[in-house]
This record gives sequence, structure tokens and C-alpha cells, in this order.
Amino acid sequence: MTTKGKRLAPKPSQQVDQSRAVNFYYDGQRVSGLAGDTVASALFAEGRRIFSRSFKYHRPRGLLCCSGDCPNCIMEVDGKPNVRACRTAIKDGMQVLSQHAWPSVDHDALRIIESFDRFLPIGFYYKALYKPRLLWEVAEPIIRRLAGMGRVRDGECGHIEYEYQYEFVDVLVVGGGPAGMEAALTAAEAGNSVLLVDNETRLGGHLLYEARTYSYQSIDRPGYEIADLLESALRAQPKVRVLSGATAFGGYEGNLVPVLHGETLIHVRYKSLVLATGCHQYPSVFRNNDLPGVMLSRAALRLINLFGLLPGSKAVVATSNDEGYFAALECSRAGMTIAALVDARPSPSTLPLQAAELKSAGVPIFTGMTIHEAHGSGAVVAATIRAAEGSPASTERTIPCDAILLSTSWHGNSALLLQLGCQLGLDKEIGQPIPNKMAAGIFAAGEVLGLRSLPTILESGRLSGSGARQHVRQQSSNWWEESQRLLSQTRQESKAFSIPATTDQKKNFVCLCEDVVEKDLRQGVTEGFDEIETLKRYSTVSMGPCQGRMCSRSSTEICGLATERDFGAVGTTTARPPIHPIPLGVLAGPEFHPVKYTSMHYKHAALTKQFLDMGVWKRPEVYSSVAEEYDAVRNRVGLIDVSTLGKLVVKGKDAPALLDNVYTHWFSTLKPGRTRYGVICDEAGIILDDGTVARLAPDHYYVTTSSGNVDVIEQWMKWLSTGTGWCVHVVNITSGIAAVNLAGPEARGVLSKLTDVDVSAAAFPYMACREGNVAGVPAILLRVGFVGETGWEIHFPAEYGEYLWDELLEAGAAADIRPFGVETQRLLRLEKKHIIVGQDTDALANPYDCDMSWVVKLDKPDFIGRYALENMKDQVGQNRLVGFHSPGEGQPDDGNAIVINGKLAGRVTSVRFSPLLKKYIGLAWVPANDAKPGAAFSIYANGKVHSAVVVEKPFYDPEGKRLK
Amino acid sequence: MWQLFSREKMWRRRPLKPQYDVVIVGAGIHGLAIAYYLCKRGVTSIALIEKSYLGAGNSGRNTAILRSNYRTPEGIPFYDESVKIWEHLSEELDYNLMFSQQGHITVAHTSATLTGLRVRADANQVLGVNSRLIDPGEIKKLVPSIYIGPNVRYPIMGGLYHPPGGNIRHDAVVWGYARAADRMGAEIHTRTEVTGIDVANGAVQGVRTTAGFIKTATVVNATSGWCTTIARMAGVPLPVTSHTLQACVTEPLKPFMDKVIVSANLHVYVNQSDRGELVLGSEIDPYTSYSQKATLPTLEMIAGHTLELFPSLRHVSVMRQWGGICDMTPDYSPIMGESELKGFILDVGWGTYGFKAGPVSGVRIAELIATGKTPDLIKPFLPDRFAKNHLVGEKAAAAVST
Repeated sequence: MTTKGKRLAPKPSQQVDQSRAVNFYYDGQRVSGLAGDTVASALFAEGRRIFSRSFKYHRPRGLLCCSGDCPNCIMEVDGKPNVRACRTAIKDGMQVLSQHAWPSVDHDALRIIESFDRFLPIGFYYKALYKPRLLWEVAEPIIRRLAGMGRVRDGECGHIEYEYQYEFVDVLVVGGGPAGMEAALTAAEAGNSVLLVDNETRLGGHLLYEARTYSYQSIDRPGYEIADLLESALRAQPKVRVLSGATAFGGYEGNLVPVLHGETLIHVRYKSLVLATGCHQYPSVFRNNDLPGVMLSRAALRLINLFGLLPGSKAVVATSNDEGYFAALECSRAGMTIAALVDARPSPSTLPLQAAELKSAGVPIFTGMTIHEAHGSGAVVAATIRAAEGSPASTERTIPCDAILLSTSWHGNSALLLQLGCQLGLDKEIGQPIPNKMAAGIFAAGEVLGLRSLPTILESGRLSGSGARQHVRQQSSNWWEESQRLLSQTRQESKAFSIPATTDQKKNFVCLCEDVVEKDLRQGVTEGFDEIETLKRYSTVSMGPCQGRMCSRSSTEICGLATERDFGAVGTTTARPPIHPIPLGVLAGPEFHPVKYTSMHYKHAALTKQFLDMGVWKRPEVYSSVAEEYDAVRNRVGLIDVSTLGKLVVKGKDAPALLDNVYTHWFSTLKPGRTRYGVICDEAGIILDDGTVARLAPDHYYVTTSSGNVDVIEQWMKWLSTGTGWCVHVVNITSGIAAVNLAGPEARGVLSKLTDVDVSAAAFPYMACREGNVAGVPAILLRVGFVGETGWEIHFPAEYGEYLWDELLEAGAAADIRPFGVETQRLLRLEKKHIIVGQDTDALANPYDCDMSWVVKLDKPDFIGRYALENMKDQVGQNRLVGFHSPGEGQPDDGNAIVINGKLAGRVTSVRFSPLLKKYIGLAWVPANDAKPGAAFSIYANGKVHSAVVVEKPFYDPEGKRLK
Repeated sequence: MWQLFSREKMWRRRPLKPQYDVVIVGAGIHGLAIAYYLCKRGVTSIALIEKSYLGAGNSGRNTAILRSNYRTPEGIPFYDESVKIWEHLSEELDYNLMFSQQGHITVAHTSATLTGLRVRADANQVLGVNSRLIDPGEIKKLVPSIYIGPNVRYPIMGGLYHPPGGNIRHDAVVWGYARAADRMGAEIHTRTEVTGIDVANGAVQGVRTTAGFIKTATVVNATSGWCTTIARMAGVPLPVTSHTLQACVTEPLKPFMDKVIVSANLHVYVNQSDRGELVLGSEIDPYTSYSQKATLPTLEMIAGHTLELFPSLRHVSVMRQWGGICDMTPDYSPIMGESELKGFILDVGWGTYGFKAGPVSGVRIAELIATGKTPDLIKPFLPDRFAKNHLVGEKAAAAVST
């Protein structure tokens, strides 16, 4: 009874090219389709009727919607899991695999699960398998094995260039049906830029697959011809851009609608938005309504008119509106036998012509009747119809057929409306929730408004397009009132009839994704899950891949029936984005991770391969060995690239006031030519950053921050100067300035060879700053002592980075200078007990607890954190940052735990082996009571315990003599 | 087997009485757990007031990850007690909560983060919590689909493995507690909103709701997202800011990963539910908000960072995204205990870590109410710690940030 291998005669509406074959593979078998076929249509043409197996019971599922709305044709295509076969064009050599079935989708052994359905009621997992506890440990892996749909293929699946694009348009129109096209044309009239997005390959919406005729421009034409006419008019309008095969998948704040287009994610920002998203059908709820062969009427029209395929040979058409009559007629004209037209409405259609043609074709029409059951095991073989509720009783009858076509239930594609703040209410006459309150700048047109006839759909397109156009110019319009008028005029022809669910509910499928039947929902309500939100979570109805498109209305209605409330009182679940499943790869977009190199990077790269990631920067960790580099700095001279330091110029007559306000220390009192260490706290007194501040002139400071914080500090300084009326400018010059630290007993000798600045101890003392030339390069020189030796930080234009690096190394060659890396610097500073903010401090560390009370100047009238720090001053904090040494043999590491009297008491923040002391030294947080010099504690390091003793003074050169 | 066919109502709708011993604001996991453990202690005159449906707030929005691998001497034992309750909660509530105790791994992509993980590993071990640092090779063995190679900007350098961690069916927890509390006498009043709290003589007198006034001497603020709004009704200021946290879920996939994976540097966490869906979460949005709406940039960030961990997931589609509101405290620890206002009990400030602590805070807040004494375990979290500057710094372990 199938139409295997058969196509209808070529027609202009068909999107397949009957002269061109395209071959692909389905589960390893070669399938020959036609150019223009989708995977689903090609497989259907080959006679395939089972397209997938259901999630829970492994029931066979066939084509239902042919529009990407339902989960029934989900397959794996070229390694991509969960692909909708009805939305995927075939390509030569394409590999298509069935999913979630064993051994095959036609003969799935797991179908046996359905035999136990009596023991698998709603909430089964909540009520079983947990006693004794061990049972769950055994059961869970088995359940996991049965779960899921598609398979993730490991490894690389070929390189894909994902892209982001950004579009800014006056008017965005979503939906390329008659309403959308008309809206786009109207909106573009005043010269507005218009983007029309449509998810089909061709424009036209439902007209594309309709051969029925409409009167258009006073001539009766088939739907697909009108689609062509509308499209050519649209294409002739240069202000309209059309994106076909593109999915608008969410409505976000800030007038943002993202559009999926192939591998590209387009971020569209609009001034006005027209939603002409149309309607979808969903199956009514009856026994075995999920059998292959049960199909939505629009899916049947798609198969016939787009692909030249008959959905079956003999069909029962169930309807509750006039659309069913047109569908039956088209099927009949295409060559199908219509075994019955079942109209749930008590009186027959108001379409005398169509009814007459059907009757003359011998189609029996049953009014006041509805479908009650589909028969068959793997495919429909018959349908039982019976009296619809509230209609005069008629005898139940069973009609043999191989297809059941449903035009019973319609639902607007209204997710975008809801996400963008519009409100919907159920129109009982039309049988569809329609907008009753629109958000500003959002316009709707066509079927989503509840309209059904082409003239009203086109008219509403023009109304919304003109409303959108006026909104771009910030003018109001009467489009809403006019659209409401259209709706009231045409309510009669839009009439639909909601079919109440039947009482025998075990195989009445509501949610196809999750195999939820009507009985489950009713039982859930009985158990107390009587709100749609809790019922949804308990039954998982509407939580599957179709996200409620096939079931949210039915489940709401059943919840209403079971709780004796109407649709409005039951409410709906939240329409969350994305409205269609969107691949992670597209969302992720292009991979973009900046790497920052200093201007001396390639000099380092020639010397070492060991780099560390410090935020976005790469820094040399070590060049030769820590021991060698340490020896050079302590005994001769060493050179380190510190270009990653944040560098800010703070200039203006009020620069001192700003810095006094930002830092805990005084900076207005700093004399020009001097440098001071500074700490920035937040309002809670927590240390955020530290650095040096050099005063080059009374109104000119040069500020360094730690590498990762410069942007935050810059923003903060600017924010704090806003509204003060201060004359102060903050400029971030981090990237423009390179910096090195030349340090060691012989640093003075090396530097003096290259500079015109007097670097003698008398002329350039510790913590002084000077401007001058180094090897001919203009530079700022800072006498600082982070590593504990006589040293200069030399800051200079980044373009001279490699030149100056070489010059310094050459000048130091006689002193056996060595470049040193971050790891050596960490050891050197640790011997001086200099902290690194972020490593030795955390989100609770204040200057008092870090033994740095000297940086807090409470004699200043105000600075950030002053209030908190003043309160803390006399309050003993719980913990202290202390220095310690650990004479043990073991190797403690950063982060080890500190244990005192068997209790967890703190942590090690930094620990290194000191070549000077020949033992481990470090910094640690310990309780304030255990922070006295000489106090002992234990270090717990991954199972091993080391002893340690608190040390008060810096380990190296505590008096700072070497810095002089 | 009989309970499979039970059609008993999980909880009943009952008329609101004019007076209760205890009024709990918020019927999420915290409120329900407090009610349940109070009932077990014999305090059964309880009204739970919920403005929406049962479990509508963060109890239904969180990613249901359970663990105790925290950082501080105060935090670790507290969350550890919770994990121990979780392990037996299905049996106790006679409801399968589907605790998938398959292990939890936090990966580090920088040496600084690795140090942060070592702090937690060692601290956990000292306090008897099963955690240890593992190298990328062992991570790969536990999670074969993860990418540990060098062809990413920040390769994985190691991880903190916490075998007792896992995830759970969060809605089931809400329903299980609700049923148990209902059976013992606590009343659940959904779709009822608190509009005011009456105070006199430094003590709570009653609660105004959209269903009428309730006289009571004890009010528990067990709300999230709006905990400051409720507290303000009682005149109690809280050092809390509210931020949206977003998550998303993919289409169901054949299970390929049973561990919870968290990346501290990439601000993303990934786990696969027993239904096969991947649940992906991020850190809190950087700005304050009461919006439960999700945003596109965060979805894009979650997707990008997930793919750095699992490049093979790029064809996997996201099904839906959502947001919940997190009440952040300055130290990333909760606020528990009686406030300065007599009879106004706080169980708030749960930031991004509230769900996992539901059972233990339920037990201990119930103990506080029933005995009038603050249990030692929650003393570090008393509201006066901010004034005393005795903070409990869990930022590095509580959120997916470093």
C-alpha cells in the first residue's frame, strides 16, 4: 500500500528536481533521492514509514509535521546528533544514521519496555529503586544506558568556521509568508532598511505547498503562484534584504533577535520588529495518535506539493475547521482516496463548493464526529471515529485507511511574542491564543494573530508593516485597532473547534518527545501536581526537544479539564529561548582568545621555552635555572622584563587629590622625584591592588599596577573623578610602554654605562624617580626594591623593547648579567617578605591582617575603604599573614593547609626553598593568636606533615641595607 | 511496589489560619527542609508562605550539584554534614531523589588556580573530606571526552577530584520534603505573597499576606532573590546584592559522562543528567538585577567555554536557557541565625550554593528555633559577623570564579 518509488508528475510547486538524483546513506544502505529532497522526503519516497523510536517506550514514530516542529524524524546526520531529517537537505554521500534504537529502527528490541508500562506510571523513578540505598547504585547506570537520544562522536569532525555577524536594521520581519512579505514591502516604502528572515528555503509560507486557488489581484491562482508573485515584488524592492533558511531563535532585551544562518550567528538589532511567524498544527489527543501514518494536514500538503509524494493511498481526514476541507480536496485531487472527512463541528462547513466537490468525489463527510483511535502496530491500518462531545450521538465506526490527516488543532508560533513582553489570551472562537497586548515596537501579522483567509493575512501584513515603519520614525499608528477590526470581521471563517480529550487515556499521547500520555497528566494532577508548572516538571511534558510545540496546548487543556479550570486560569509555562535547538558551536562563534606579548617577547623566546600564562600575558617562567638566576641577582646583576605591569599616567592639578582618594597612603605629600608604594582597598578595606606611584612633577604622576588589574583601576579612577570637578586625566599607557627591572649589586655600574642620569646613591637614592635617556632611549627610571637588591625599573617606549633589552645585556656582559624569570622573581621577593596581591591575599585580606598597617593613613580625611579600615583598626582580625620557615625535609607547596593542635587553621600562600637559608621559607595565613614570632605550626601537604615556625622580619637583608 | 500505584496527594491545600507558631517565608528547599525538621522536633504549627508555585524559585532553577569540597574550616564541615544527609535522604523521605553520586572535578587552567585547588584539597583532607589534586592524565581517565591537549589558549593543568560530589533531581527534593512536612502537619500555602511583617517591642508580631494576617512570634526568611525585600519589611538590613545566574540545557544525548565538571577559569560547569541532557551553568552576571531572564551573551559564553572543555559537543544543540537570582554576600557565605529583631530568623544570602546546603540548614535552623540556641555549626554564619569583621571567605570555592 505504499507509494514506494513513485512520485507524482512534476508540478511548478515541487521543490524537487525529478531529473537529478542525489545519493546518500541511511544506516549504511544507499538511498537515492532527488535534488531538493530533504532526508525525510527521500526516505519517505523509498517507502520508509518508521523514522525514529520514542524516548521511553521505543514506539515507532513516523513523519508528523514535516516542518521541524516535532521530534519524530530526529536522526544523526554526518556525525551531528538529533538532526531534524525533515529540515535537512540531502547531499551526495551524506551519512544518515537512526538513533535510539537497537538493533534497528524498524525492529527495536527495546519496544519491550512498553509491555511493562503498567509498572512505569508517571513518577516511576521517584517511587522506586531507592530502597535499599545500594539498589539505586545498581539501577542508575542501567537507567543511564537507556537514556538520551543522539550520540556524541568523539574526536574532531573536521574544522568548521563559526562566525558572528552583526546587523542593524530599521525593521526586522520574522516570517516570509504572505503576511511577512507584505509587511516587509510596506515597511520598506519610506526608505527604511528591512531585513526579512525566514526559516524555509523559499519564501511563501503555507502558500508554497498549497495548490488550492485564492483570488489574488482579482485572478484565481494557486497558492504557490501567489507566493512567487509576492516574492518577486519583494526582491524588486532594494531596501529589503531576505535571509532564507535562517532561524530567528530568541527575543532578548535591547531589541536583539539572534538569527541562525548556516554556521553563522547573526545578531540583529532592530528599531521595529514584525512577527509574522505563522501557526503550527499539533496532533489532537486520541488513542494511538502517535502511530506512523498519523500526520498533520499541512505535512501532507508539503509531501504532495513540494516533494510529489502521497502521504498514503487512503486517508481519513479529521478536522475542526475549514482548513481540513481544503486539505482533503488537495489530497483527493492528487490521487488519494479520502475514506472519510470527519468534522468535529456539529454543522457542516460553510464552504458549499468544497463540500460539494468532496461529495461528488465520493468522500463521506461525518459532522459532529471526531477521531477516537488509530489502529495498527507499526503503521495505521484503520481509524475509529465517534461522536464528538456535545454532538448528537452517532454510531461509532471503524474505517480502514493508511493515513490519518489531522487539521484539528492550531497554535500560533508565539514564543518570540512572549519573550519580548507581549501578552496572549485564548480566543475560544478561533481556538488559538492570540496577542491581546503588544509591547512597544513589536508588531504581529498573519496567522499568529489568528487570521486564516489570505486577504486578511495580506491586509494585516500591510498594517503591521506600516505600523513598524511609523514606529521607526517614533510615530504612533492605529495598526493594532485595525488588526483587531480585521480579526472581528473574519472570526467566522477562522472558526476552529477544540477537541476534548477522550477518556481512555493510556495510549493517548500528549508529549511525543517524552512519551507522556493523557493518563499520566491526570494522575499527576491527582497526586497534587495541579499547577501546569509543577505538572510539567513532574511529568516532563513539554521539556523535550520540541519544547512544547506539540504538547503545551494539550497538556494545558488536560490540566484544566482535570482541575476544572479553563485555559486562562491554568496559564502556560514560560517560553524560554532558544525557540529552536541551536548548536553549541554556532552559539560559541569564532574562537577568540587574545594573547599579549611584551615587546621583548621574541628575545625571550630565543632563550627559553618556559612561559607562564599571567592573565592574557605570556611571561618567561625561567631562562636557565632558578639557582643560576638567583645567584646572578643576589651577587652580580639580573634583568627581568616587567612590561606586563599596568601603567597609568595621572595628570592635572587635582591628580594628588584623586590619588589620595584612591590609595590608602598619602600621595599629595609625595615630593616630585620620589616614588611610594601604594595599596588600593575596596570599600570593605580588602586589598585590591598594589603598585608604585612616582611623582614626576607636581601635577604629573606615573602609576604602576599589577598586570591583571590595570583596566579595573583605570575605570575606577575615572569613575571616582566623575562629577568631582577635578582637573585630572587618567591615561592607560600599558601597551605603549615597556619596562625592565635591572637589579643586583652591580646594577649601578651597568646602568651608568648607558645613561646620562646620575645614578649614584647620593643623587638617585632608593625610592627616587628620574627621567632621562638610557642607551639613547627616553625613559622613566624608578629606584624600587621588589627583589631586595639595588635596582632600577626602566620604563620606556615599547618600540625600543628589543633594542634596550640587548643593550642592557651587552652592557652587563662583563658583570655576567643574567635575564631572570617570574619564578626567580617570586623567590627573591619572598625572601624580602614582599606580598603578591591575589596570591598571598584573598577576598578577605586587609592591610592590618597582612601586617601592613603602615600603608593605611587614617589621618587622611577620606579614601576608599577608610570607614571599614578605621573600624578594623582596634579590632583584632581572625587571621594574620605571617612569614615562616620550615626546616623539614619535605617539599611544601603553595596552598598547603596549616594545622595547629590537630585543627585546620590556615593555609600557605607562597613557599619556596631559600638558597640563602637552606630551608623552605614562605608566607601563610594563621590565626591571630598563633601569629607571634616563634610560634610553631604544622604544614599539611597531601598526606605529609612538616613543621614550621613564624618569623617576623624579612628573611633577607631585614634592614634593607642592600637597597641603599 | 505499592507506592508505584499510589495516587495520594503529595501535599494538601488548606485554609490559612489566623495564627501559627512559625511562619516560613519561601517554600523552596530551605523553607521546606526547615519545616520538615521542625515537625520532626515536634513543632508542627507551621505555615509556609510561597508567592508562586512550589519550588518556583532557585530550587527549580539551580543545577543541583552537591559537594562539600569547600575552603574554610567553617564551610567544609557545614557542607560536609549536608552531603552526609543527602546520602540517606531518599530513604528518609521515602522518595527517590536520584542522587547521582558519581564524583565532582574542578579543573584548573592556570597555576594560580591550581594553587587555589590545592588549598581546598589539603583543607578537605585535614577535615576528613574526600578530595585530592589529580593530574590531567587522571582527569582524562575519569572523563574520557574532556580535552586536555595543548591546542587551546589555557590548557588544563590539573584538577580537584571530589568523589562524594554529584548531582540530584532537584524538583524531587522539593516534592519529597513538601510531602513529608505536609504529612506531619506543616501547611504549604502557595500563590500567597507576604506583603508586610509587623514588629513591636523589638520582636516579630505577625505577617501580612495576600491571604490575610497571620499572628506569629517566629518568622523565618527562607527566600532567595528577594531576601532583602522580605528583610526590609522587618526593618532588618542585609549586606546582600542580587545577581542573575544563568544556565542552559541541551537536547538529550546518550550518556557519555557521569562526573560533574567545573572549570574555575572558564566559569562554566557541565554535567549530564540521568535523562541524558547536558546541564551547563555559568557564574553570576557581573551586574545586579532581579531579572530571571536569560541573555544571549551569557549563552554564547557558556557555549564557547563548554566547547573548550569538550570540543566534540559543538553539534549538540541547546534546548533552553534560564536564569535565577542569587543573593550574594561579601564573603560568599550564607547568613543564618536570629537577626537583631527577636523572632526574625534568617536563612538567606545563599548566593550560588544554597541548594546543596538545604538539608543541613534545615536541620540546624530547626534546631535553633526549637531550642532557642544557635548550633555551633552555624555560629560562624551569624548575621553579626559583618560588623565583627569575622568573615568566612568562600569566594574561591563557592562560585566558579577564582
